[in-house]
Amino acid sequence: MSRSSLDHESLLQLYRSMLRIRLCEEQLAKSHQRGLVHGACHTYVGQEAIAVGVCAHLDKNDAVFSTHRGHGHALAKGVTPEELIAELYGRATGCSRGRGGSMHLFSPEVGMMGTSGIVGPCILQAAGAGYSSKLLKNGAVGVAFFGDGAVNNGAFHEGLNLASIWKLPALFVCENNQFATEVPFSYSAGNPTVASRAASYGMPGAELDGNDVLAIRAAAGEAIARARSGGGPTLLECKTYRTRPHAEGMGDFTYRTREDVEAWKPRCPIKRLREHLLAEKVASEKELAGIEEQMQSEILAAHAAAEKSAPPKASEAATHVYSEPRQVPAVPANAATRETTYMQATLDAIAYEMEKNPAIFVLGEGIGKRGGNFRTTFGLYDRFGPDRLCDTPIAERGFVGLGGGAAMTGARPVIDFMFADFVLDSVGEIINQIAKIQYMSDGRIKMPILLRGCIGIGHSAATHHSGNYYPMYAHFPGLRVVVPSNAYDAKGLLHHALRVDDPVLFLEHRELLSTKSMVPEGDYEIPFGQAAIVREGTDVTVVALALMVHHAQKACDILAKEGVSVELIDPRTVAPLDVDTILKSVAKTGRLLIVDEAFGPYGIGAEIAAQASDRGFDDLDAPIRRLNGVHTPTPYSPSLEAAVVPNLESITQAIRDLVAE
Amino acid sequence: MAIPITVPRLGWNMEQGVFVGWLKADGDTIRVGDSLFTLEGEKAAEDVECLDAGALHIPANAPQPGETVLVGALLGYLLQPGESPPKADSPPMPVAAAAEPAVVKAIASPAIETTPRERPASSPRARRVAEELNVDWKQAKGSGHSGRIREKDVRALAEAGTSFGNATRRLIAERMVASQKATAPVTLVTTVDATELVQFRDRCKANGSAVPSYTDLLVKLCAAALERHPALNARWENDRVVPSAGIRIGIAVDTDGGLLVPVIRDAAKISLAELTVQSRDLIERARAGKLSGKELRGGTFTVSSLGGFGIDAFTPIINLPECAVLGMGRIRRVPVVVDDQIAIRDQVTLSLTFDHRIVDGAPAARFLQTLTKLVEAPTPTLDSLAPSPSGRGLG
Ligand SMILES: Cc1ncc(C[n+]2csc(CCOP(=O)(O)OP(=O)(O)O)c2C)c(N)n1
Ligand SMILES: [Mg+2]
Repeated sequence: MSRSSLDHESLLQLYRSMLRIRLCEEQLAKSHQRGLVHGACHTYVGQEAIAVGVCAHLDKNDAVFSTHRGHGHALAKGVTPEELIAELYGRATGCSRGRGGSMHLFSPEVGMMGTSGIVGPCILQAAGAGYSSKLLKNGAVGVAFFGDGAVNNGAFHEGLNLASIWKLPALFVCENNQFATEVPFSYSAGNPTVASRAASYGMPGAELDGNDVLAIRAAAGEAIARARSGGGPTLLECKTYRTRPHAEGMGDFTYRTREDVEAWKPRCPIKRLREHLLAEKVASEKELAGIEEQMQSEILAAHAAAEKSAPPKASEAATHVYSEPRQVPAVPANAATRETTYMQATLDAIAYEMEKNPAIFVLGEGIGKRGGNFRTTFGLYDRFGPDRLCDTPIAERGFVGLGGGAAMTGARPVIDFMFADFVLDSVGEIINQIAKIQYMSDGRIKMPILLRGCIGIGHSAATHHSGNYYPMYAHFPGLRVVVPSNAYDAKGLLHHALRVDDPVLFLEHRELLSTKSMVPEGDYEIPFGQAAIVREGTDVTVVALALMVHHAQKACDILAKEGVSVELIDPRTVAPLDVDTILKSVAKTGRLLIVDEAFGPYGIGAEIAAQASDRGFDDLDAPIRRLNGVHTPTPYSPSLEAAVVPNLESITQAIRDLVAE
Repeated sequence: MAIPITVPRLGWNMEQGVFVGWLKADGDTIRVGDSLFTLEGEKAAEDVECLDAGALHIPANAPQPGETVLVGALLGYLLQPGESPPKADSPPMPVAAAAEPAVVKAIASPAIETTPRERPASSPRARRVAEELNVDWKQAKGSGHSGRIREKDVRALAEAGTSFGNATRRLIAERMVASQKATAPVTLVTTVDATELVQFRDRCKANGSAVPSYTDLLVKLCAAALERHPALNARWENDRVVPSAGIRIGIAVDTDGGLLVPVIRDAAKISLAELTVQSRDLIERARAGKLSGKELRGGTFTVSSLGGFGIDAFTPIINLPECAVLGMGRIRRVPVVVDDQIAIRDQVTLSLTFDHRIVDGAPAARFLQTLTKLVEAPTPTLDSLAPSPSGRGLG
């Protein structure tokens, strides 16, 4: 055991904290056997020194992110045993209000920003917390705890590199317990040490005895002090061993022997500290026994209280998917307007919001000095500097996950992808983390992040620069999906997006960027979920999105000459989708066509059609029709490209056909 | 307190397992970490670790090795020094979450509010079935949410059309009044020489084949006349004249339950022989109350004969939404002037009531003229058709 200059109380505090974790885990293991724990239960037995040694340096403003084996981190960070136990028992008093169980622990009140059932993201989120700290200058540190299983995942590579190049106040703690479920680390890593990888990212790394709480405490102290003083991140590899199965109820001896496990038990970190305290005469046997008794009764009381507490109400099973809607002031009636391009309108909005809100920062490739591939940030670098206009390496998963962590910790990131196709590398972060965290934390953590990028087919961009993707995002709860069709909407929607607390996908059709409309000069907000009636009509309702709105408008002109009166609706946002406005129109016209460049199957049109046949059944005078882009990857050659998207002729004809139905 | 030993859940989805057997004996002292029993879960058999200490007590009624056990079932107890086993061998079962109604509902947002409809809501399927059954779906009473007329309502309406008694009487009453209210009826009367018609029928009798009734003959001749005067075959719908696609002629049949008007389809296209068979069948079944609603709907013109009752002329009522109805009187042998000579001829009086909204008097009169000529010289028309297509078989 390493020597230390710690005072009596600090040492006993380490002992208490480790013991609390151990006894809590033992209680949970028993409760799992008795059926009180409803789902998975990954205990931290044998690894207590790591959480305790690191968290000894943290206060509630520091943000901890962890993974499936997170009970110890939560307790060390200040979650009470009762809140933890109640969470695993599925009770309303649980730290995640019964929404998470063992793998999803949230307690933002004490800086426990979340554990995740997905291996990897916590690394990026801790880096994001570091980014918030750097931007907001609040002195906080972001800490990630993760297993050896995470270090072979891209999140580790991207997260550590980003933290390093930006010198983020972050600490990466790898708990190398030598197995990822049953796969040995020695098998899955080409480089047998994790700590040495730190050099690849240009940050300090240290290999530690993970069962020596004093060693961990000392190394973590040094790393955290360095982080707080602007010295950047550190990687700690803590070699340890879990002496219980991967999860309660799982067999343990198909990949290791009983003897292996028994051999590690004498190296128990709690036992070691106890022996040290006695040997160094820091505490007497009696004093330690007193602590043990006190801790035992604390856990028993926590168990009893948790068992007594009520389950969450079923009526609240779907609350806090989104934050409270914002009250939106009306667009000023006589505001001065100016003809503005789509691109300029969004630039004006973001510049205005960045001026007002210092928590906003932009991440993306070429969005700094260069001002963005599509001039999305043109001129902002000079005004707001490199921390707020931050160029990224090509690490989409990394900077999206990092953005999520930053949004959880007080910043408001804008992730600028250029092309929405590039985002697909980070879909896991968006859907599993960003979309779910408000809900999983029962609304106690907000997720104000804007993810923007170009979509759409045109000018032979071919298949990796043409995707639409919004139907996919609209499918998942927790995301707002905006698809503006003109400069006026784009500006108002972007202002709104930068003021709401929900994650927003802001998808701009590339073919629209230089289109112009009359746009108020000042700021104004267009709330989500309000469709625009682009044109009133009586014979047929046409719903169109993005570029298709423009084609459809031209079709309306042609058809007007033929005596067909089209009502054209632009939903503007597909999540939420303003079905009411569409159905009111269908009640008038009896006919509905949805024109969407995105794919038909499972798409926006399918959704609108389903709702129309449900809620507007008696209003329909004809089948509902859809006109979509062809269900194929987007080809390059102009003749092929043109063949896969709806155009003026096909739209006009589809409307004619529907009117004749 | 005695600590119950229960069946744990191994893995994600286990609900039950096989109790393989104890690894310790009754009365053994058990320490924390000892393997206590073997349980077979979904994936494999596991030795289950004991997480408490005490003396193992295995109750007499505990599961036997090889038995299937539910997760949570009681296997035994760990007794502390001086403790005796509990009386009732029932484990404190884990508290199940209180049953509460689930929040899952069908996506049933409110229907969109719109201005009240002029006509009742109806489902597309109901309207299609109405077409098939020749029922006016607007007459159906909607039983769906918000009064929507559904398929079953249309079918019920069609069924009602075939039943007798009050329902039939009421229906007749409604239709008659509706006709009187809606139409602008005018009746034209003319007396026609039917001598050749009578001779034609006599020839049929001599042939031994099914003998057409005079009504059958008139139906056939009317069909021919209607082909030349489609205006009389039209109907009045939504404030305008709508031509009918085929010629379908209803025959007024007096039944115990009241007047029924089964319809001969394609009256112009089928042969007289076929028409004769059809009408006989329809009349028989009308009297037996065995017509389907479909057989009573869709007529475009009606022929009604009261000749059997000694009536010469009358003012028949238009069968809505048809344009006209022909009333046929009795056939009498009377002296008439032919080529300035008194001759004995067969005479019949025809009364045509037409809807003046659809046609004017002159066209109606022209139709009657055509019909008169056909009655006076019926043979070409009545003989004109070879056996009907349906009689040709499949070759
Ligand atoms: C992305 C992802 N892949 C697979 C899993 C399934 N899984 C859960 S825990 C685990 C092993 C993790 O090992 P390690 O990171 O070393 O953590 P430990 O369990 O050893 O603490 C795996 C593969 C997961 N949760 N997330
Ligand atoms: Mg591991």
